Amino acid sequence: MTENSLIKLENVWKVYQLGKVELTVLKGINLEITPGSFVVILGPSGSGKSTLLHIIGLLDVPTKGKVFLEGKDTSQFSEDALSQIRGKKIGFVFQQFNLLPNLSSLENVMTPMIFQGIPESKRREKAELLLSSVGLRERIFHRPSELSGGERQRVAIARALSNNPEVIVADEPTGNLDSSTGEQIMEILIDLHKKEKKTIIVVTHDPHIANYSEQIINIKDGQLTSNNLMGEKVLWESKK
Amino acid sequence: MLKEYFKIAIKNLRTRPLRSWLTILGIVIGVFLIMSLLSLSEGLKATVLKQLRAIGKDIVMIIPGNLSDIMTTFLGGAELTEDDLNAIRKTRGVEIVIPNVYKAEVMKSQGDSKTVLLFGVDLKNALEIYEEDLGFDMAEGRWPEAGKREILVGSLVPEEIFPGLKIGTQATIKGKQFEVVGILKSLGSRQDDSMIGLDLDIFRGITGKKDGAPQAVAKIASGFSPEEVAEDIKENLLETRRRQRGEEESSFSVLTNEAMTGMVSNIMGVIQLAVFAFASIAMIVGGIGIMNTMYTSVHERTREVGILKAVGAKSSTITSVFLIESGVIGLVGGVGGMIFGLGLAKLIEFVGQIHPVFYISASISPGLIIFGLTFSFLIGCLSGFLPARSAAKLKPVDALRYE
Repeated sequence: MTENSLIKLENVWKVYQLGKVELTVLKGINLEITPGSFVVILGPSGSGKSTLLHIIGLLDVPTKGKVFLEGKDTSQFSEDALSQIRGKKIGFVFQQFNLLPNLSSLENVMTPMIFQGIPESKRREKAELLLSSVGLRERIFHRPSELSGGERQRVAIARALSNNPEVIVADEPTGNLDSSTGEQIMEILIDLHKKEKKTIIVVTHDPHIANYSEQIINIKDGQLTSNNLMGEKVLWESKK
Repeated sequence: MLKEYFKIAIKNLRTRPLRSWLTILGIVIGVFLIMSLLSLSEGLKATVLKQLRAIGKDIVMIIPGNLSDIMTTFLGGAELTEDDLNAIRKTRGVEIVIPNVYKAEVMKSQGDSKTVLLFGVDLKNALEIYEEDLGFDMAEGRWPEAGKREILVGSLVPEEIFPGLKIGTQATIKGKQFEVVGILKSLGSRQDDSMIGLDLDIFRGITGKKDGAPQAVAKIASGFSPEEVAEDIKENLLETRRRQRGEEESSFSVLTNEAMTGMVSNIMGVIQLAVFAFASIAMIVGGIGIMNTMYTSVHERTREVGILKAVGAKSSTITSVFLIESGVIGLVGGVGGMIFGLGLAKLIEFVGQIHPVFYISASISPGLIIFGLTFSFLIGCLSGFLPARSAAKLKPVDALRYE
């Protein structure tokens, strides 16, 4: 038990009741993520990796076992408290982008800040800054439908960063993008990791993406099969 | 914070304008009905009560027959006989009795000939009662003198019945020449304002109605309670009929001003309640419309709710946003219904003034407006409550997976 673990999972199980059939998706996962690390959870589809990510990101709760965030047992928190923590400490990036379709890029990035009670002028300023930093200065008034996939994902990253979270949780962030656009997205994430010392957790089935990481966690049939620490080297190489 | 939710809610409503406006229309219709009907019935009540208030507190009205059977009384031509009138006069506490006599006759004036309602005024005995207790107020001219062929006209007579009629105009009734000496101010009802008043004795002379009266009005002497005297009058009348005519089953209604006011208030209250109940059904239908729209909206926006929760929205935030949406639908519908409803009421009032069937005014009080807006807003919130709660209950991960 390290003092400085950011997220820690202790014997986490997730069981879904599908009619009369019980489906066990996660089978006793133990996992620790240290602050500032770049972790890839790699596994085939159906391996339970997305469920694991949802539990790490506090979007879902385990059927059994405990999730600690900065040493605190999250099962003690109410649903509203979990919302609050998600909004403040965790940024999400999804395969489907999950932007709000009726809002402009700018408004999408501003939204999470509303729930933290940040005044409008500050929200706007911060959102403009974040969108510029992902190269979308010219696109702030466009709606998601007017943007390309890569641009949408960049808006999503800017949104994930809006409350300056400690962790970015990304679920197949390149899954809906072509490989070169996907690479750009990964580079943005790596930049965040290196320059801003953010903790990044990426779920993917693509071993190529896994190469960006310094720590690869393999998952299969709801169990972790290996937990490799690859070191800085790979990360540098992938950046060329 | 609430301001932000408001913005989100408005934005959501505006992304589906047709559906929002149709839902609002449902509420507009409900509020429209409530507002127009309530303001008109309130206005009607105020008009009738105003007329009653012009009549003194110590005045009682005596009508033969039972009030619950009023049509029989009028159509059956039941009248108070001279004996009845005397019985009233003899009752302790009665200061004076004025027979209420009227008859339709043809009147000719300025080459025009029209049927008017003649009204016998007891100028000799009761002039001050008309002035002080019955609300007769002269707009122009003076009262006729007892025994002279002079007439008094209601405020509508020079305006509509004999246009151009003024003080000094000559008129012929039943071959006798009369002179107009006074024009009254409005008494508040179309019928009263169309009457031609003349001295009671002359009235009896030319109409051939020598005695008795369809109704009578009695003034109660000071120091007596109108209710008690009214009871005594009734007893005396029944007693007289039994003794003189052997009638066992006669009936009279003796109404104090207070009783009449109470009756009017009661009747109008029942009418208003009925109006409100029917209009409320329209409101409920509108509310169901809101609920339907909101459930559809929650269904469509399941994923959106998931996103909002993922980025930090609490359940209460989601509830607030949806509640504000339905509340705004209710409120906007309320404002629309109010404008149309009160507009219609004012229009009816306006038409009533140009071409009066009955004096009707639309009563538009701040209370009615506040009531209408609060009511529609509450209906909106109430209808939105269940859909909003079902949205708030969504688990973020389930909502995000929703396709």
